[in-house]
Amino acid sequence: MEAANVAGFGVILLVAIALAVKVLAAGTVSFANGFFYADSLSALVILLTAAVALVCSTYSIGYLRDDQQSGDMGDDPAGAEQIAQLRMFYSLTPLLVFSMLFIAVANNLGVMWAAMEATTLASIFLVTFYGKVTSLEAAWKYAIIGGVGLSMALFGTVVAYYAGHSLPGSDSLSGLNWSVLAQHAAQLDKTSMRLAFVLILLGYGTKAGLAPMHTWKPDAYSEAPVPTAAILSTALLNCALYCLIRFYILTSRCLGPEYPRHLLLLFGLLSMGISVPFVLAQRNLRRLLAYSTIDHAGIMTIALGLAGPLGSLGLMLHMTFHTIAKSTLFLSAGNVYQHFRTDLFAKMKGGVMRAMPLTGVVLFMAMLAVIGMPPFSLFQSEFLILRAAFDGGHILTGVLFILFGTGIFTGVLVHLSGMILGPVDDTPVAARRPWRDGSLLTLAAALVLIGFWVPAPLFELIRGAARVVSGQ
Amino acid sequence: MLMSPFLDMQLGDRIVTLMAALVLVLQIAMVAQRWIVIHIRIFAAQSFFLAMIAATIAWFNHAPHIYIAAGLTVAVKVILVPILFERLVERMEIREEIEPIINVPISLVIAGGLTLVGYVVAESFYRPEEPGLGHNALAVAISLFLIGFFNMINRRKALTQVLALLTLENGLFLAAISLTYGMPLIVELGVFFDVLVAAMVLGILIYRIRETFESMDVSRLRRLRG
Amino acid sequence: MARLIENVAQLLLLLALAPLVTGVIRTLKARLQTRRGPGIFQPYRDLAKLFRKGMVIPETASWIFTAAPWVVFFSTLLAGLMIPMVAADAPLGLFGGVLAVIYLLGLGRFFLALSGLDTGGSFGGLGSSREMTISALAEPAMMLAIFTVAIGAGSTGLTEIAGSAIGQNWRFLAPAQMFAFAALALVLIAETGRIPVDNPDTHLELTMIHEAMILEYSGPYLALVEWAASIKQLVLMTLLINCFWPIGLQPTWFGFGALQGIGWLLAKLLLLSCAIVLLETVNAKLRLFRVPEMLAVAFTLGSLALVSTFLF
Repeated sequence: MEAANVAGFGVILLVAIALAVKVLAAGTVSFANGFFYADSLSALVILLTAAVALVCSTYSIGYLRDDQQSGDMGDDPAGAEQIAQLRMFYSLTPLLVFSMLFIAVANNLGVMWAAMEATTLASIFLVTFYGKVTSLEAAWKYAIIGGVGLSMALFGTVVAYYAGHSLPGSDSLSGLNWSVLAQHAAQLDKTSMRLAFVLILLGYGTKAGLAPMHTWKPDAYSEAPVPTAAILSTALLNCALYCLIRFYILTSRCLGPEYPRHLLLLFGLLSMGISVPFVLAQRNLRRLLAYSTIDHAGIMTIALGLAGPLGSLGLMLHMTFHTIAKSTLFLSAGNVYQHFRTDLFAKMKGGVMRAMPLTGVVLFMAMLAVIGMPPFSLFQSEFLILRAAFDGGHILTGVLFILFGTGIFTGVLVHLSGMILGPVDDTPVAARRPWRDGSLLTLAAALVLIGFWVPAPLFELIRGAARVVSGQ
Repeated sequence: MLMSPFLDMQLGDRIVTLMAALVLVLQIAMVAQRWIVIHIRIFAAQSFFLAMIAATIAWFNHAPHIYIAAGLTVAVKVILVPILFERLVERMEIREEIEPIINVPISLVIAGGLTLVGYVVAESFYRPEEPGLGHNALAVAISLFLIGFFNMINRRKALTQVLALLTLENGLFLAAISLTYGMPLIVELGVFFDVLVAAMVLGILIYRIRETFESMDVSRLRRLRG
Repeated sequence: MARLIENVAQLLLLLALAPLVTGVIRTLKARLQTRRGPGIFQPYRDLAKLFRKGMVIPETASWIFTAAPWVVFFSTLLAGLMIPMVAADAPLGLFGGVLAVIYLLGLGRFFLALSGLDTGGSFGGLGSSREMTISALAEPAMMLAIFTVAIGAGSTGLTEIAGSAIGQNWRFLAPAQMFAFAALALVLIAETGRIPVDNPDTHLELTMIHEAMILEYSGPYLALVEWAASIKQLVLMTLLINCFWPIGLQPTWFGFGALQGIGWLLAKLLLLSCAIVLLETVNAKLRLFRVPEMLAVAFTLGSLALVSTFLF
């Protein structure tokens, strides 16, 4: 099972790279009479998803083996129940990733929605993996809030379809095709698009974890197995933002950028603002990471709202960097959890660096990256977004951004350093974990590297995606 | 019912309006309902009328692909999902009544108010110059959506929350039918498949919640905070 | 002159038909429960027996106790004269039309409730308070439904309401009409004291409403009160039928049409009685604090009906 998984994800990564190359060469790629459509934006999202999935699958080998030994998955290692659990994990995770990839290549907005719903359904049982009372609660919240959110998104899709019903050929399958709608965006019905955008923002924003629809995130991320949480917080977030971006492009071409901007800035700042107190008063590691994800979802939404060349570039860069940094954070948090068997800061008493030096260093680095400390890459993308804000005259947005960002910075720094850096004594060093540490090191290397040098093709892809968003 | 080639749009509009009204009444009945099994049957009846509305619109507008949507509705929402949930209810031996969070008479008044809101929103979509059925249906659809949402917040038992979510989706289906005569077939297929799988997944989840918590009362799910 | 004949004719029809309807409902219910039932003419025999018997009046009763049966009887009859039963042209047209009907019935109920309190017994008070609670919730629903129909007809006069309904065969398919019909049907159950609101066959303390109010009556007064109750039931049923399905309603009382009109009326009443019997047999009586919920449904339906005349 494990080998098949890793091999499968390896193949997917290769396909993703091939797609990216093709898109870089040809601009856009489309198959099956326009059913599948990929431009730089899709290619970037697919690439990021595939990369994260591969790393997480190598990580999960070691992670799940440890779980089997430690009894988290039931008392009898290699018993039938555990095998069934493992099978479930190794079949749902590819399903989840496949749905996410489908989201990015589906041209038809309705099919895109169906794939997003499929990701929710696939991940529900992943959240209940450990079968604890709290896992059920988290899965239930996730299912219900996600279900309502996606219903709103479906409604928005229906209204968007209606907005395009006066276009030629709208009765056929292509009437909901994004490429068709984007071309004729100026002729879409304006009132309908207004309503549609609000519904889409509420709907896909729920999946992205924007406030006030964010309440499922801390629960789901702290209860799911760590590789799943890593995928959810990076790849799925990217896909939800991808859907939002597609609709944003339609709306801004139809109604002009001001209308969506107000809404996006509102929700983005709200998300950032709501995470501040929860980060400052947090006691649980993975919930802290969840609120940090909510914060970054807010940042990316703000970037989308600001749009323009600077904003779009900042958005795409941030998406890329955040994916790498956040997955590193989650995977190292997984290491910490499996060693200390708890998520609470108070119980860890600053022992991470002593007990697990490698993980401690990586965790510290990733933490600095996520809170936007130079010279890590997220600093550059956040700076770009701030510049876009001040350049466009959105002073209040910029000021609030800095304010909230400082709050998050403080909170995360205090909590995580308290957890990682503690006085040296003779705590036993944790055993070696080849699979987990290996995956972690790869990501850490990527994180450090990308702070200084983005490979040219990747940067071209990011630029291309930014151009798609800003409409040039 | 419509065996003669009677293509009077007026009659079709009347029939659609009538069935839309029935659907709305069923949704409001769900707000006042107490027994879980009746909830399931109301949902089945509502989906059936929706399928009839879709079939009527298909007939009067010569749009055969909507028949498929109607057929899917019957297959999935009238037959499969209710059977699934009734089996779940049998297995869990639920006989308890459901106490909503806001008491019934006030909930009913709120539901009436939400219907009004649905009408007001639907007004902005109404184009008199475009002939076609479904202005009333759109208002009912938006009301279904809003009342379903309210029901989800108002209910304490997990199964009724899921049923409210499904009626919300019913409202969406009706909106799609009345606005754009349904969405492209492949989208409809995808949506129905999702509904079916969602029902199964949520059913399993509910069963496990019931086993773990000895109750379907979701207000007991309060351990995760902060 | 013609008017007077019409009034007298409708009066006789009301007096004669009301106990028959009660008898039919009881017998049908019995048959549905695989009993034989008392026969459809039993209410007549009951009334005749009661008129022959002596009366016992409590010492603590005042003039209200003796006046109430007469008030109830005559107000209900007066209300019945205003309903189009056989002809669309109602014999009596008091100011306010259907509102006058509702208030006349309300007057009767008021006096009955007072008489229940009058004797000072606890059952009477219990019945009166329950009855007023239910009517406080049922009347708004009824008003809303009636207003819906009246708006459709352009007047609250019952003649106009019935008249406007004739000839528009598909009108009852309109949602406003349907909602109004549903609301009025629920109110009918509440006002006539049928299951699931009240059990007309019981004398158990926990379950009585109407029966509790009239517990102290005996002899001719009891006959008057019971007759008035069955006339009220007939009036409400006819109101329900003829406002929504005026098929067979003749333009005037005279001519051959009158017999045809009576025939149609009997047929429709039979149909409605069957529906009531089914409803009573299939449902259990609601606990008292659940009755407001049912009436709230009626209220919501009534308001929906009223609002949809403007929106649909």
